[in-house]
Amino acid sequence: MRGRRVLGLLGAGLVAGWLVVAGVSPSLVPYSPRQVDVMARLKPPSAGHVFGTDALGRDVFSRVLVGSRVSLPSGFTVVLVAAVVGTLYGGCAAYGSARVEEGLMRVTDLFLSFPPLVLAMAIAAALGVGVRNTVLAMFVVWWPKYARLARGLVLGQRSLDYVEAARGLGLGGARTLLRHIVPNTVGPIVVLLALDVGNAMITFAGLSFLGLGVVPPTPEWGAMVSDGQALIDQWWVSTFPGLAIFSVVVGFNFMGDSLRDWLDPRRER
Amino acid sequence: MPTARPIPSSTRPTRFGTLLLVLLAALAGARPSPVTAAGKTTLVLGIDISDSRTFDPARQFEYSPPTTMRAAYETLVTMTPGDYVHVKPLLAKSWKLVDGGKAWQFQLREGVKFASGNPLTAEDVKFSFERLINVKDQPAEIAENIASVEVVDPLTVKLVMADKSQPLLNILSSVTFAVYDSKTVKAQGGTSGKDAEKADKATAWLDQHSAGTGPYVLTSWVRNSELVLERNKGYWRAPAAFERVVIRHSSDSAAQLLALRRGDLDAAFNLTPDQLNGLGRDASLRIVSTTSLDFLYMTVTSGAELNKALGTRAARQALAHAIDYDGIIKGLMAGQATRPATFIPVGLDGSTEALTKEIGYREDLPLAKKLLTEAGLAGGFSFKLTYAKAAIAGTSYDVVAQKIQSDLARVGITAELDPMDQTTLRTQYKEGKSQSVLTFWNPDAPEPYLWAAASIQRVAKRVRWTVPKELTDLVTRAGGEPDPAKQAGYYREYQKALVDQANYIMLVQPVFRVATSRTVSDFDLTAAGWVVDLYDVKPAE
Amino acid sequence: MALRYVLKRVVACVLMALAATLVVFLVAHTVPADPVLAQLGDKASANPETVARFRTRWGLDRPLWQQYAIFLAGLARGDLGESIASRRPVMDDVRQYAPATIELSTLAAFLTALVGVPLGVLAAVRRDRLADHLVRLLCLFGVSAPTFWLAFLALALFYGGLEIAPSPGRLDAGAVPPPHVTGLFLADSLLARNWATFRAALAHMILPAVVLAASTVGLVTRTTRASLLETLGQDYVRTARAKGVAEALVVRRHALRNALLPVVTLGGLAYAELLAGTVLTETIFSWPGLGRYTYQSAVALDFPAILGMTFLVAAVYLVMSLIVDLSYVVLDPRVVRR
Repeated sequence: MRGRRVLGLLGAGLVAGWLVVAGVSPSLVPYSPRQVDVMARLKPPSAGHVFGTDALGRDVFSRVLVGSRVSLPSGFTVVLVAAVVGTLYGGCAAYGSARVEEGLMRVTDLFLSFPPLVLAMAIAAALGVGVRNTVLAMFVVWWPKYARLARGLVLGQRSLDYVEAARGLGLGGARTLLRHIVPNTVGPIVVLLALDVGNAMITFAGLSFLGLGVVPPTPEWGAMVSDGQALIDQWWVSTFPGLAIFSVVVGFNFMGDSLRDWLDPRRER
Repeated sequence: MPTARPIPSSTRPTRFGTLLLVLLAALAGARPSPVTAAGKTTLVLGIDISDSRTFDPARQFEYSPPTTMRAAYETLVTMTPGDYVHVKPLLAKSWKLVDGGKAWQFQLREGVKFASGNPLTAEDVKFSFERLINVKDQPAEIAENIASVEVVDPLTVKLVMADKSQPLLNILSSVTFAVYDSKTVKAQGGTSGKDAEKADKATAWLDQHSAGTGPYVLTSWVRNSELVLERNKGYWRAPAAFERVVIRHSSDSAAQLLALRRGDLDAAFNLTPDQLNGLGRDASLRIVSTTSLDFLYMTVTSGAELNKALGTRAARQALAHAIDYDGIIKGLMAGQATRPATFIPVGLDGSTEALTKEIGYREDLPLAKKLLTEAGLAGGFSFKLTYAKAAIAGTSYDVVAQKIQSDLARVGITAELDPMDQTTLRTQYKEGKSQSVLTFWNPDAPEPYLWAAASIQRVAKRVRWTVPKELTDLVTRAGGEPDPAKQAGYYREYQKALVDQANYIMLVQPVFRVATSRTVSDFDLTAAGWVVDLYDVKPAE
Repeated sequence: MALRYVLKRVVACVLMALAATLVVFLVAHTVPADPVLAQLGDKASANPETVARFRTRWGLDRPLWQQYAIFLAGLARGDLGESIASRRPVMDDVRQYAPATIELSTLAAFLTALVGVPLGVLAAVRRDRLADHLVRLLCLFGVSAPTFWLAFLALALFYGGLEIAPSPGRLDAGAVPPPHVTGLFLADSLLARNWATFRAALAHMILPAVVLAASTVGLVTRTTRASLLETLGQDYVRTARAKGVAEALVVRRHALRNALLPVVTLGGLAYAELLAGTVLTETIFSWPGLGRYTYQSAVALDFPAILGMTFLVAAVYLVMSLIVDLSYVVLDPRVVRR
């Protein structure tokens, strides 16, 4: 129990730390993340360049720090918007007639079966590369899982005894919704959200890795890993940005995990 | 709830143990001994042949197949490594202008036989060229100056030109003009008639076999995997040095390097500059190189409607003088490149490194700033630089674009990078809608007129440049000029005009390098299009 | 009754796969790119006559609905169209690249199960003790690491640094592949009794499979643990214990089987995802599979290939989820009644 709480706090600390870095990094960094120096390219980590330099001689450490300003918000935005939209969608579906619900859920299945990569590339080609368009593409394939979860939860709640009882007693639908159903569904959704941010960040980094996402030379962790992908001997170019992604996602996962245990009514004290 | 009691430990370790053993066994075999033939009867090359779609000379248009084509097929004339000005005899032993300069007449070599045993005749030349023209696939474009092919006698063939002022000879050295056995190809469904576009059915066969006169014969091709050539026993010169040539596909440069080091490959074609530079310490390997005729360049539009600043010539010239060319070559290309003054690569008629130093752009920041002020843009300007996800000799466009962006920022010019997928880029660029594009030029054949004409015709349209009549006339004159000295003079004037116009900024003309093992020799690279003439390659003494 | 449900679901699957292709088709066509201009050589594309000719040849001059109808008609025949980039049927491309992905994902799935299930059992049985915590941490780490980063680290460490792993790719760059029977190198080399190639192919597969498995192991372990814990708390288990049945037997015979149901569900969907082609891993390991092919087709706006792959991927995913749903019908008849 204490172990889990410690982990959760550790996770929160990691995330908070990165949020601070994202906020102040431009003033903290030793070099400008865009400073090109081709004759100093691909130098290993040293006193002058803690994380070494990349293919254009830029300081990897500075780029990793400033990269947090893009990598962090993008994943978070996708999940937040997807969660809100998906939950509303799923909740409504659960309240509709069986036919309506079936239809709505088939639509979510359709979106779930999409290869996200193809969609993202098509959107990028149609609308251009950039953070906004990649987030849009990700959102399109991200919301269904929240719709599914919300629908399942609401359905589950509706059939529970106490709701039936409340209805039997004549209590209004809206009241039941607000006072009983919502509090019991919000929990799992928030847990999924916390655990999902990591996923979204990794997916965004992956899309950046493939050439979508940011426009160069903006530093972004996924794109930076991609830059060094073929440079096996100059491992520092890809390793450190990847480590950054890893640390943030670990933070969110620790947090989410603790949250899940805390909200689980069946946990043992 | 009762506490769970432990599962007896008998089952678990067995499962993990097995897994561990399997993994260890597999890894132990991770570096197995080479599985290829020992003894130098087989030449094994590691090349990325993923772009190969066909080996039919009338349809082939990609980057990697010419190496194979040149080994299996021969042309009337050819070029030797390093000399891209004068063609040398191959299937034709002599040629001359006839009909008042309207046609070229070729005297074919006697005693040449195809791999099938059939003798080479002028009929085969007629069939091959007419099939190329009438199948109307992509490579047909480079034959547009051939109006007709006439058989004068069994060993004499005449090519009548459509426009006698345009060059033809150098273009004929391209493997697209391969001469193949008309009897064999006809038997496989090939036709050279006017209906060949729909009626010809020989391509499938030609993808797996060859019907040429060359020192090797194509015997199999497994897409993205392997290609095998075998010695042509009836070759008209001394038989080739190897019984077989195997091209193994590999898209990973690290894997190619490892295989080369271990002796599985005799040559690796796709190593990166950093890998090549690191080979110096390995005594069993050698690097062969040649300056290619390809280049990476940047187009800049003249269309004020696309970008007001770029519409001004002074602004474009300022841009050209703000780029750190030496930094790109020394830093990003590890010094393994040169740079032409403008649209004709170094090594061709009239284009030399000295000329680049004399009239080409060089980094001159004060001059750039002065030009900007003259153009009324003292505060600089911004424009969009578009490029695709590609690389030149192992250096990605992405990196070059960011370097340029950083260079231009020094004089206040902001380049907005616009990476795009290849398809959309080509569409946009070919429709003349791009402000500035980073792109690549690789030749159909080593003939300067091809570059010059393109630069003032279709490429000029893409950058919205209305070419003055004097320049068009100059290029036409250069193309038809028989005296090489005069011709060089015309091309020099043309290049000066282009430099002044500043629509094209040449960045890098790479030195093409191949790493070979010391078990093979005479691996002479050529920039003429087929990379290496496999006939020359021999086992080392 | 159950049959009607099955038929309904199958039809729904097919319709949805088609709907997926329609959406991708429409989106892809809103892109301001012309595959003809892009594919033709520089000189050819400057000649409007040539461009028009190739447009007709590749069927791109017809109205959109016709192009889609042609695609559908071909689909009915099992023909996914002809790829513009490789100039051959998409089915041929798929046939060439599918074995590589199937081999890799099957090995990855196998490794995931081999490691994930026992770990999950261990964690459930030693609940809240050190083993459980360690397993939990391991899972969290596995899920938190981006696959492409792990892939790079694995290559840089085991291949670049320690030099105990082979080079990227299904085989060494100079090696001879086994004679083609299925396209699965492991199977083909066994059939040809070529042990050296079998070992080489397996050795090349280990690292990418481990990397792929690393991301799914966490999920499988957690699900196994949770499911087993839930089952262990059921009445019938308590009854068995009360009757004096040995604990090991309780776990193995009664609890595990039921506990594995949700794991199978998850496993099925995860396998489908793996099969759909993991672009990132395949890119780093130069693995010539469907993931990389899909990506290259997407980048080249190769419409027939994109449509074909979308249909395939959607179909695979839907079929797997159908199988999973059906297994529930078989096991729990209450599902059908609504």
